[in-house]
Amino acid sequence: MLTKGDRILIVFIFISAALMFIGFQAYSFGGHKTYAVIEVNGKLFQKISLGQSGARLEIRVPGNLGESIVEVDRDKARMLYSPCPDKDCMRQGWVSRPGQMIVCLPNRVVVKIESDRTPSDLDGVSF
Amino acid sequence: MIERRKMIFLSLLVTFGLVLHIIENMIPVPFPIPGAKLGLANIISLLAIVIYGFKEGLTVNILRCLIGAVLAGSTASLLYSLSGAILSTLMMALFYKYFKKVFSLVGISIIGGVAHNFAQVTVASIILSTFGLYVYLPLLMVIGLLTGIFTGFAAAFICQNLIALLEINLPGRRR
Repeated sequence: MLTKGDRILIVFIFISAALMFIGFQAYSFGGHKTYAVIEVNGKLFQKISLGQSGARLEIRVPGNLGESIVEVDRDKARMLYSPCPDKDCMRQGWVSRPGQMIVCLPNRVVVKIESDRTPSDLDGVSF
Repeated sequence: MIERRKMIFLSLLVTFGLVLHIIENMIPVPFPIPGAKLGLANIISLLAIVIYGFKEGLTVNILRCLIGAVLAGSTASLLYSLSGAILSTLMMALFYKYFKKVFSLVGISIIGGVAHNFAQVTVASIILSTFGLYVYLPLLMVIGLLTGIFTGFAAAFICQNLIALLEINLPGRRR
């Protein structure tokens, strides 16, 4: 039932799909840039790009109660110190994946991890 | 008389396509890939193309998509299925007309399946305005290939019996 053309077509599509797959993997299409976004009172305070070659720094963030310190270590971020009473934000530890966030409500400081691939205004898409 | 017969047969094809469309929605997809599906309704569009031609195939397919969206799917997925249906019908009709000697119905059906998935990914990435969705394309191409082989065999078996049974006047054959 299969003609010779059919067989060639099947092989051709398989090979081109495999080539595209390898190409996407090589160019690391999936590996996109991530950022740590620090917001105070809902306003953007600072945006730091994360990555293996990123810097190690401590950022002083002026909040409602006092100064929080956010530590950024190459590809992750955490709340190093916060003047808030319950210290929940410090206990949360490191965040690194897009979508994760540390919220310190008393001090009104938010640390979000964002990526340039997922549009932040969409929660999900159904097909 | 022949016109009326053709109209009835085309509307029957739309109905069969609708039934397959709805049944297909009930089958769970084992892959976590958006857009992966069996494409059973492809059998019907292939039949319409073989028996009547491009214009009729396109009509049957678009009608099936519109009514299917109302009956079974959410209207949000209408755009994806409609674009996929139009491109796949176009490609299948083109290849059936000019490369009938080279490819059997299975090959034509594979082209339709892959074209359908390609159109879907393209429309989805235009709507979401990210080209990151093309990462799914190689996997969707392989899925389109496998389902295309399946639907192609089904269409070939139906065609063999249907044409003999109904004595429909094929294009180019006068009675």
